[in-house]
Order: sequence, then C-alpha cells, then structure tokens
Amino acid sequence: MDSIESFPVRRSVPWRTLDTEALVVDVKGGLLYPLNSVGARIWDLCDGARSVDEIVGVLAAEFEAPEPTIRADAIEFIERLADAKLVSIERRRKGESR
Amino acid sequence: MAERGPRIEIAGLVFGVAGLGAAARAWAEDRYGPFLSRRPQTFGVRVRATERYRPGRSPRPSATWSGGRFALASYPSRAQGDLGRRRVAFRAGPGPALNPDLFRLLCSFLLMRAGGVLLHASAVVDRGRAWVFSGPSGSGKTTIAGLAAERSVLNDETLAIRPGRDGWEACATPFYGSGGPSMARANGRAPVRGLCFLRKADRFAHERLSPADVVARAFPEVMLPKRDQRVTEQLLETLAALAAAVPAWELAFTPDPALWSYLDGLD
Repeated sequence: MDSIESFPVRRSVPWRTLDTEALVVDVKGGLLYPLNSVGARIWDLCDGARSVDEIVGVLAAEFEAPEPTIRADAIEFIERLADAKLVSIERRRKGESR
Repeated sequence: MAERGPRIEIAGLVFGVAGLGAAARAWAEDRYGPFLSRRPQTFGVRVRATERYRPGRSPRPSATWSGGRFALASYPSRAQGDLGRRRVAFRAGPGPALNPDLFRLLCSFLLMRAGGVLLHASAVVDRGRAWVFSGPSGSGKTTIAGLAAERSVLNDETLAIRPGRDGWEACATPFYGSGGPSMARANGRAPVRGLCFLRKADRFAHERLSPADVVARAFPEVMLPKRDQRVTEQLLETLAALAAAVPAWELAFTPDPALWSYLDGLD
C-alpha cells in the first residue's frame, strides 16, 4: 500500500463508538467487529480526507509508540478493514480532490 | 370457517391472532397458554397456512425494514407487516399455524422497534430483581435456570429485555429451550439486576465488562438476522443504551446453589 497516495474511506456500515472503543458491523456477513481504542481512532480517521501517511502522523502524535511500529500496525489494520470490505481505498495524489 | 383467535402478550406487545381454524386455535392456546391476554391488541396478526415445504437448502432467516413496512422469513414461513396499520400477514408453512420460529422472529423485530431486544438468555428473579444469563448454546443458561429452586424462572433460552418505567426490565417469553415448557410457565417480568455472560468452569469467577464488551457479547445473542442496515443500526443503539444502564459481567460458574450468594457479592 502506498501510504501517501492511499486514502481509506469508511463504507456505509452501521457502527458506534462506546467510550474509546468502537463496534463496526459487516451487514453482509451479519458480523460485528469490536475495535480497541487504537482501532477505533483509525476507523474514525478513515474519512477519505486523510492519506494513510497522514493517519499514521495523527496516531504518532496521540499514542506513545515508535513511529515505525505505529505505521506497520496501522497499515496492517487498514488492509484488514479493506479485506473485510469495511473501508475502501481511494488512490489519488496529495492535494487532489475526491 | 376461520374464527377470531387468541390474544398473546409478550413483553407488553399484545398480538391479536386471527385466521386460525378450530384445531390451530386450540393448539395455539395450549402452546402459548400462560401468555394469553385480555388486554387490547397492539398488533393484529392474520395467519394463513399457505407456504409449502420445498426440499433443498433452506435460505437463512431474514428481517428487512423499509419505510413503514417490514418483511420476515424463517423458511418456509414468512411474514409481512405494516407498522402504521399495526397489521401483520403471517404465512405459515407446514406444521403449527402460529409457527414458533417465525412468531419469535416477529416478536424480536417488534421488540427492537420498541427499543428492546429478544436475547438468547435465561433469567431468574431473585428478591424481585432479575439476573440475566446470556451466552451461546452450551454455555449454561438452562443449567443456571435449573438452580433457581424457589426463585422464579422467566425463561431458560429466550428472554425479552426492554426499557420500562423504572429502568430495563426482563420479560418472560413462551420460547423455551432445552428445559421445556416448565421454563415458560408464567408471563412475569422484573427489573434487571445484572447481565452475566456465562462460561462453565470448576469454580466461580467474574470480570466486570465495559460497555463495548457488553455490546460485542450481546450482539450475536440477539435473535434477529443482522444483515439489514436499518435493523442493525437500531440494534446497536439499543444495546449501547442497555450497556450504559445495566451492570454486566463475564461469569465463570459451576452448577452450585452457592451461585446466588456469589452473585450478591458482584460489584
């Protein structure tokens, strides 16, 4: 995944934040995905306005962990969300509008 | 000629059932006996035995909701309803005319619309308040109901939980599990004392659950297909409200009557 030109976008699925955690439902499979606080923050940031690189930047500022670790974890998590069809990945250049 | 049938009350929903022949009416009055009601109906259910069994793979149960109308299916039976007119056309397959699988699905859908849930759970009333025990098959719901002794059991398998005047209430349903009809002998209700997600063990232990944990654990136990966006959104909202209001734990237990004093110590 090119973290600069990939913009994750939440799909229109039922979801809800509870405290710092979140619950996301895959209605096709009838499954619920519980997200911990980091996962919930990533989910919240997958609004199509931020690239993966920018999401990593936000997380690195908010959570105490080495940036390379956050980057690897965030990319893996976003890819899992994409595999589950809970987010789509838009490809565009920085500054290019949606 | 079909005649007007019984009224059946479940968790405050009163179903006026019409269209049953004499034999089907007698069956329904026996099957749903403790839940017969004289209160005014909140929904009219017209039953027709029209659906034929067809060999082959059964589609999964479904619940869809669009505008003021909804459609439910529990193969081969299905129902279509109009929320504004409060009417349901109940088309039953072979077997009981008021098919319990579809009737349970109908109750679950209408309860969800009323802000409640039909949960895969047992419940026991202890000193006026209900302990609710949920979990998948084999987790111990019926086992715990069997430890009730003099306490009343609301059900061993299917429980209605809905907001009441003084908080969330656990309500009996006629949809019993492996404990049989004796687990659905009275149409009782009680304020919820706590919600426990069960795990069989060789000793008692517990862990308080966060609201997100409660929703995640309760979600698969709600007796409603979860493939409709609107149904699922409403369900998440209801479970979040329940989780915010009712204390919940994971409970490891052994089948011992000491359970009730152990529950008294939960915090």
